[in-house]
Amino acid sequence: MYGFGSKKALIESFASTALAEYPVVVINGYLQSINLKQVMTALAEVWWDQLKTRQRTSSRILQKVQQPFNSRSVDDLLAFLDKSEAEENDSFICVVVHNIDGPGLRDSESQQYLARIASCSNIRTIATVDHVNAPLLWDKKMVHTQFNWYWYHVPTYAPYKVEGIFFPLILAHSNTSQSAKTAAIVLQSLTPNAQSVFKILAEYQRSHPEEEGMPFDNLYTISRERFLVSSQVTLNSHLTEFKDHELVKTRRRSDGQDCLYIPLTNDSLEKLLSEINQ
Amino acid sequence: MTTAAAATDSPTPVAPDITENNLQPFFVLHQASSQKSNKKSSRTAKTRRRIDLSPSLTKSVENLEVEKADEGVDHGYVNKRMEAFESVWSKMESTIKDVLRNLNIGVFNEIQRWVHESFNTIKSFGTPSFPEATQPFPVVKDATSKQVFTGLVLTKNMEFVDDLLTFEELGLHLKSQGYHVANLSSLDFSVKNGIGGCLRSLLRQLVMVTLDAHDISVLATWYREQGNCNNPVVIIIDDLERCCGKVLSDFIIMLSEWVFKIPVILIMGVATTLDALRNTLPSNVLHHLCPCKFILGSPSERMDAIVKAVLVKQCSGFRIGHKVAVFMRNYFVSQDGTITSFIRALKIACAQHFSMEPLSFILLRFLLEEDSQVLQGENYGLPPEVLLERAFDLPSYRNKIAERNFDTLFHGLSELKKLQNQWSTVLLCMHEAGKCDKIQLLDLFCEALDPESGILRVSDTRKGLQKDSTVSPSNKDMHKKYASLQKGGFICQAIRKVRDLPAMQLCTLLKGWEKHTVDIPEIHDKVKELLSLVKFEDSKSLKRDLIEMSKRPASWSHLNLEKDSKAASEKAARLAEFMVGKYMQPLECIAFHEVVCFKNVDKLQAALIGDPRRRIQVDLLEFHNIIQCSCCRRHGNTLLPSMHDSSIMHTLAQEHGDLINLHDWYQSFKMVILSSSDKGKHRLKHSPSPKKRKVTTEPAKLSEAAIQARFCKAVTELQITGIIRMPSKRRPDYAQRVVLGL
Repeated sequence: MYGFGSKKALIESFASTALAEYPVVVINGYLQSINLKQVMTALAEVWWDQLKTRQRTSSRILQKVQQPFNSRSVDDLLAFLDKSEAEENDSFICVVVHNIDGPGLRDSESQQYLARIASCSNIRTIATVDHVNAPLLWDKKMVHTQFNWYWYHVPTYAPYKVEGIFFPLILAHSNTSQSAKTAAIVLQSLTPNAQSVFKILAEYQRSHPEEEGMPFDNLYTISRERFLVSSQVTLNSHLTEFKDHELVKTRRRSDGQDCLYIPLTNDSLEKLLSEINQ
Repeated sequence: MTTAAAATDSPTPVAPDITENNLQPFFVLHQASSQKSNKKSSRTAKTRRRIDLSPSLTKSVENLEVEKADEGVDHGYVNKRMEAFESVWSKMESTIKDVLRNLNIGVFNEIQRWVHESFNTIKSFGTPSFPEATQPFPVVKDATSKQVFTGLVLTKNMEFVDDLLTFEELGLHLKSQGYHVANLSSLDFSVKNGIGGCLRSLLRQLVMVTLDAHDISVLATWYREQGNCNNPVVIIIDDLERCCGKVLSDFIIMLSEWVFKIPVILIMGVATTLDALRNTLPSNVLHHLCPCKFILGSPSERMDAIVKAVLVKQCSGFRIGHKVAVFMRNYFVSQDGTITSFIRALKIACAQHFSMEPLSFILLRFLLEEDSQVLQGENYGLPPEVLLERAFDLPSYRNKIAERNFDTLFHGLSELKKLQNQWSTVLLCMHEAGKCDKIQLLDLFCEALDPESGILRVSDTRKGLQKDSTVSPSNKDMHKKYASLQKGGFICQAIRKVRDLPAMQLCTLLKGWEKHTVDIPEIHDKVKELLSLVKFEDSKSLKRDLIEMSKRPASWSHLNLEKDSKAASEKAARLAEFMVGKYMQPLECIAFHEVVCFKNVDKLQAALIGDPRRRIQVDLLEFHNIIQCSCCRRHGNTLLPSMHDSSIMHTLAQEHGDLINLHDWYQSFKMVILSSSDKGKHRLKHSPSPKKRKVTTEPAKLSEAAIQARFCKAVTELQITGIIRMPSKRRPDYAQRVVLGL
């Protein structure tokens, strides 16, 4: 579905009413990064529940699942979702993708995964596009055989409230710095442990305004004390996530040691901390 | 990233605006509701049940009123018609699959024979002994045993999409012979996945395992056990040129080392020429290949076969109109180029036809079953009087005299079927003629569907061409009566070709016509007459040659021979003209054709080709066509404060080049927003349009902050659509226009 205006409310309203008979999974493509492997795991679990429900009404005995879904490979998950049951099959999972052309999904690997998901026989896909160059994302195989798009022109002229969250305002701060509000929104989407690690860094930065940042070792020690991380690897993964979202940056101190800092002013930092603590 | 939120329980139809869900990468909106109605589910696994929408849901405004009027009666019966669509489409789809399979069967058999021979050759090098077989490393006997037999299948088609199915079918064909087959795609040979990617895919398909460590020795072990070693392992790579050369080289070298233990035979699809192999692989790898060439049918042959089987012959009864055919042909030739998309367009056309035309169910019932009683039985929800009213109100039905009852309708539909059969027959004959000049059936098909040339043909025919038409009318008459043919179209070209045919080819052509025209006795008799004439001439001239060769100069007998065959060709050409004139009535000239024929090319185009690049800009610039606001209707192109902010901004941006000075842009925007003459205020007060988003406030009361906020929001929205790009560090005061004009 394409056309100017946010189609999010329209599609979710459609999904809630007309698709009430089928399980519906929504992917918010407008977010900055989406882990499609987790999406596939969730889809497999939903489909498994669906099969179990139907098993109660039919006489077929379902095979016992040997391996939990989150440890299976992508190919296994897709094979499971593509398997058509021997008996008549009029049930499927609906996948609703808001902004399939969103910044977090524009890489070719994500689109390949989405195409493979869409081509599964037990899945039906509805997606919205807002970008004028959206068709460039797909090659002919994806368009004609996997997604098999049917285009609907649906201009709603509704405001892009949610989709525009991550775009910095043009007249506001400069592009390089992240505003507190955006940072708060990103933080809310992280795990509580990650948020706590961030809070440690923020508190340190607030209480040591003259320093250039917090050394990595300090952060690790405090995180371990508070049982937020169990190893350096875990802390590194949190930090990578922060860096991806531009919440944390590294710089070299005058004594040559690398340290971490949050590229926000103290005021923004205060506001951010208060928002997270809510 | 957090995992998905728990499923919400309530299926209440509320547009959710839950902030937490909006920021989750994904979430389950709801599970299937437990109150599944006991609808009769369709038999096939590929059912697409049409969702029954209540009319209260939001629809595109421009279509709302029109649709309500038309669909008020039958929105509940669309579901039933979609079942009819399923039957019709499955028939068409299976016909297409059969046609493609038949086209390929020759090549497939050839490939299968070659695989068998290659496997025998590999076996002749010897089988590994027990210790050799169980070692986890390769065994090499001599240089010749390191060769991998490679079949290069020339697809002659840059569009690899069309051949995905071909290689799938090849795999199935070889599997049916007991061979172990794995289909790999070029994605398995990407730089990112490396050789591990293709090994993983190979092992999944053959050994049915997914391991962390992919090693070829696993395949070797599998091959040696469980009696797998009586058949070769065939690896099909569907598109050589899309594979990463390095990865493919490594793969081939590895296979060549293990070929003694695992007799692998490679089959690769090549889109361009065999030189592609030299371009993709280094020479040291090429030495390991023992190639053999196979050639698939060309895309145009495939297209002809599909058009013939599905659109020309009476496969399912479903037909497309002239404009739709021309659109589909142009889309195939100039835009997409894949047969897959052509078939998809056909499917969409069929689905739309059943969705929009209430009488379309007759297609299924009547044309396949030929039973007039069927029209009075189950009518897919339409009461009989409504059915009759609808049928006789169709624009194609112009007979005001006949009685409006089921008999008339049945008679009309029978006539439609008969005329269509005749049209198909003549078109197939023209195709036979056009083959000599490589004229595509699709081109002939589009031209033959043209209702305008058809009217000319039919009216001329009615003026009295029922006499013996192998005798040619005068030249003047011919010009007048066949004016449509003289335009230089494909049919005309085909007939011209017939005139120039030598005797042998003419004979072949007439035999083809004899086969096709069995159902039209008038033409069939004439063809037989002509055929016997040609054969007689042929034998006569042969006898003459034998007897008189010594007597007369060679050139004289040659001249006579030529003269005779010319006369026959001329007669054949005139017969062709007669056939076209009398029996080729385009579908759109026949009564009740709307029941079977889909003509809405705009709807098809809109569904098949999304054109967001143009459409989104049109949405912004010409929103008044969609919103139908009264203020803009009166003011044409002037910018009003009541317009959508993004529309105002986009319109203002058109005045700039590719760089927009932010300050100027903002000032212009502010001026538009704050512009309020007395007339403007008056208009705002009386504007009755309910579609306006904005609350009409007094413009003068807007604060600077509010205007700035609106400006920022509009810029963000234009960014989301990709029309502008944010200022860079180099030019912080300028936004860049990325999309320049429609």
